[in-house]
Amino acid sequence: MDLEYWETLLGEAIEEVEYRDIFIVAEVEDKTLAPVSLEIVGKARELADSLGAYVKCVLLGGDVKGSADELFLRGADTVYLAEDPALEEYNLDTYVKVLGDFFEQKKPEVVLLGATDIGRELAPRLAQRLGAPLFTNCVEIEIDASERLLLATYPVYGGDYFHVSASPSARPQIVTVSPGTFAIPEAFEYRAGEVESIPVELPEVEPRVKVLEEVTEEARGNVPLSEAKVIVSGGRGMGDEAGFSLLERLAGALKGVVAGSRGAVDEGWIGEERQVGMTGVRVRPDLYIACGISGAIHHYIGMQDARFVVAINDDEDAPIFKVADIGVVGDVREVIQALIEELEAEG
Amino acid sequence: MKIVVLLKQILNPAGFVVRADLERIFVNVEDYIINPNDKNALEEALRLKDALGAEVIAISLGEPRAEDALREALAMGADSAILLTDEAFSKADASVATLILGKAIQKIGDYDLVLLGQRALDTGGEQLGPRLAEYLDLPQITNVRELSVSDGKVRAKRIWKRGYALVEASLPALLTIAPDSNEPRYPHGARIISAYREWEVEIWGAKDLSLTEEELIPLTEVRRKAFPPPREFGEKIRGTPKEAARDLVRYLKARKVVS
Repeated sequence: MDLEYWETLLGEAIEEVEYRDIFIVAEVEDKTLAPVSLEIVGKARELADSLGAYVKCVLLGGDVKGSADELFLRGADTVYLAEDPALEEYNLDTYVKVLGDFFEQKKPEVVLLGATDIGRELAPRLAQRLGAPLFTNCVEIEIDASERLLLATYPVYGGDYFHVSASPSARPQIVTVSPGTFAIPEAFEYRAGEVESIPVELPEVEPRVKVLEEVTEEARGNVPLSEAKVIVSGGRGMGDEAGFSLLERLAGALKGVVAGSRGAVDEGWIGEERQVGMTGVRVRPDLYIACGISGAIHHYIGMQDARFVVAINDDEDAPIFKVADIGVVGDVREVIQALIEELEAEG
Repeated sequence: MKIVVLLKQILNPAGFVVRADLERIFVNVEDYIINPNDKNALEEALRLKDALGAEVIAISLGEPRAEDALREALAMGADSAILLTDEAFSKADASVATLILGKAIQKIGDYDLVLLGQRALDTGGEQLGPRLAEYLDLPQITNVRELSVSDGKVRAKRIWKRGYALVEASLPALLTIAPDSNEPRYPHGARIISAYREWEVEIWGAKDLSLTEEELIPLTEVRRKAFPPPREFGEKIRGTPKEAARDLVRYLKARKVVS
């Protein structure tokens, strides 16, 4: 903001305060902002309003100015553009250099990044360069007004509980936020802001880490069961092979993988390597959907660490309901069919 | 080839129960283990040793009891072990740990690879690796599932976006190994007795690393614990399949289980 203007207006000199405003490192891929970047803007707006500060986004890339408006609509006051052919492809060293120099000069109070593959490797390196504290994979961020301090909540021991931490004196306070934690804020139709360019001067150097090949594994079956975030699992209750194949579509709609109980493996509907249970794989997904699985103890042992369990079964007294956060009583195939339609309709 | 592996000793989660409803943690057995993800890093180092011949040095920053973690590493196949322990280290957060471990690695010197786990289970932290790489001015490759070394270069398959990326860096380099990327070996029968009775675990403190008290002041502090809302099981949705499906999707979205 124009300090001189305010000084004239107030008739006195304003002392510039260091370490102010909330900065966001937004990510653009294929001309589209990462959803987590928008989620963070919404949260940042909230924090900034309580601090009396501005929300300032940084975009790095070859040509990223097209994404600035979207950031304004969601709550950003300023968008800084670092545009350079050398930033077209993500490269850790150049990104850290540009952002490190920029934040060194701007002195933010808070810097927020999405805990994406890029954010997770970039944020700690940046924090180290700036001598700044970092809280990773946060699921809540608040401001303690009395101390003007950021409180960061993040899962420990795999999410069994959380730590709430703070950095009393070091600035900026850097945070990575887990994708999907906050809702994308409503767009204000007429909101606008300032666009500023960041001068980029990058020496031409070979990247220290060279990417030889990038492989997208849309084939969901390739994700190991033990690492899958969403698992759709079927048992004997699916009836037959055709019924079991419905699970593929449900998994597709949820970007998950298919697994099975001992019963489904015995029927030959799914391979042994995808069996959940005491003698199979022990899984810990964020969402586990047990379809037509009665829920015997040996199955329970394999899925007890799931963060959220949905059970679909026609037998109201099936033991699986006792360990499910939510259950649906009904014809498994019909419910799954309706579920697929519901999810696909919403896109 | 010289490989430095970082191991953190943590409280074994199998020995405690988190009661979210009481907002308390009950420790039944005070048992300490090597952070499982760091064990994956040790396993990768030992595989390189098996394949190409390498000197594997295990280091750990922690309480004096972390010596046990290092002896386990020796029994698994590490060649030597250094424990970084000092009263002055006890409040180390990620930035202070970076300084201590960074100085220790510099003191070891002449290394080709620094390996550690991507994540510390006990703090959920995912920052030590990149911080250390910055401190040591090394190329970093995070979330690595597989790696190989040849002609002074490390090649790695790393988890990247919706799949993986094959990347390459010159040595020396720092790599963080993805959780569950391998099955760590058991301690070797013939090594166990030597590891626990004969071999020395070197101990370095603040003085050995020329660290002053002011340098060891952490940037962050844990203010309190928080607990997830207690889970209640057994709620059921009924109705026609269509209604049930709609209610279920709403329910899951409201709880942010699906987006």
